[in-house]
Amino acid sequence: MIRCLGLQWGPAGRPLTPPLDLPLPAGSLTAITGANGSGKSSLLKVLAGLHKPLAGQLRLAVPSLGGVGYLAQQQSFDRQFPIDLLGLVAAGSWRSRLSRIERRRRLDQALANWSLDGLQDRPLQALSGGELQRALLARLELTEAPLLLLDEPAAALDDAGQALLWQQIARWQREGRTQLVVCHDLDAVRRYFPNNLQIAADGCLFTSNSRDSFSMRGLRVA
Amino acid sequence: MDALWQPFVEFAFMRRALFGGIVLAVSAAPLGVFLILRRMSLIGDAIAHGILPGAALGFWLAGLSLPAMTFGGLGAGLAMAGLAAWITRRTGLREDASLAAIYPISLASGVLLLGLSGKRLDLLHLLFGSALAVDETTLHGMLLVASASLVLLVAIYRWLALDSFDPLFLRSVSRLGPLAHGLFLTLVVLNLVVGFQAIGALMVVGLMVLPAAAARFWSRRLPVLLILAALLAAACVWLGLLFSYYAALPSGPCIVLLAGAAYLISVLAGPVHGLLRRIPSPIAT
Repeated sequence: MIRCLGLQWGPAGRPLTPPLDLPLPAGSLTAITGANGSGKSSLLKVLAGLHKPLAGQLRLAVPSLGGVGYLAQQQSFDRQFPIDLLGLVAAGSWRSRLSRIERRRRLDQALANWSLDGLQDRPLQALSGGELQRALLARLELTEAPLLLLDEPAAALDDAGQALLWQQIARWQREGRTQLVVCHDLDAVRRYFPNNLQIAADGCLFTSNSRDSFSMRGLRVA
Repeated sequence: MDALWQPFVEFAFMRRALFGGIVLAVSAAPLGVFLILRRMSLIGDAIAHGILPGAALGFWLAGLSLPAMTFGGLGAGLAMAGLAAWITRRTGLREDASLAAIYPISLASGVLLLGLSGKRLDLLHLLFGSALAVDETTLHGMLLVASASLVLLVAIYRWLALDSFDPLFLRSVSRLGPLAHGLFLTLVVLNLVVGFQAIGALMVVGLMVLPAAAARFWSRRLPVLLILAALLAAACVWLGLLFSYYAALPSGPCIVLLAGAAYLISVLAGPVHGLLRRIPSPIAT
């Protein structure tokens, strides 16, 4: 699914880590951890195609359009934009070729999955941070992108919201989606993630419960 | 009641002004809604200044001819928007700053060109226009451009709306975001160029942005905002023309001042965050 060879990223001329070789199989679920400023978000942006890598190769086995679902750490959009929650979530089925009825069914399903029932008509402005975050995750679900890059999805969520998030991420994994999730909650990483990529300036560390052994450069394997 | 129609029944020039003005209002005001949503409200103003040298060049070469001045203005407006976008992309200068830097250059060269041409063209007429001077040819041009612009806006609506809201997401599902952005800027330039013939380059900015800003106080739904802005702008054209007729005042400022009054009333009385009629609105946390 993902294949990095000697990948380096960060501000121009100042790569954040040694070159990284990392193959990630399709359907894998990986947490990305590391200190502030270590380059977690930057790595996701490189993978999402928003930034160019400084060096190395990156291959993603996904369609170039609609293949990658990216949830940014901070939303740059205008909270006063005249759109309601339903409109926001429905944009997820932009590329869907399904019938109107089937699209509507999936939309309702996604709303239910992220416990957004009853909030459909709320204007964006009147949503709490957690409700907005769940709406964005529901939109991501509707895109059916095979690769999901989530940058601190738990940050805005309360306990119930986080429990829902881990449950949905587990479901996405069962559905075969490949996921990379930036997460600061090490307890949650241990409980919910089979793989963990720790990012640090002196080299990245990949730990896996599934005992897959990868041959990697610039990567210590535990 | 008769007073509301009588001038238009009696005089062909009033009918032409009304027709042209309403068509322009209906096509320009929805663009204003998108300008505001994209935080580009002042960019219309900058572009309106920038189209002047093109129109002046057209006037110099071909005299007071609508097609020449329109194409000149269109060329200058698009060149300016394109140059500003190019500088932004290459140097990282913010788009408003690069446009603010380009348009005085454009405006100054326009005034200089008018001086060089030696012919007498009233600069005030170009900037502030006169709806009453709309002749048959101008009216046809306005009808054509405005309806084409409206059709195009409807065609790109879906892309433009999502590109205005969340361009990053649109990029992940469609490649047409930049195209919609470019077409939108083209439409803005086109409407300003057509408008400057009728009510003047600077007044048409008011017709574009004021009804859109006023509509924002009445609804939280994008389609409603678009229709409301168009209706409001059309009403301002109609009443503004009547007022200018009876009071014997220039028509452009009358139309824009009416739109301004509608805006101020909306600020006070609008149900969405208006100052006076604040209905309990759910507060975002």
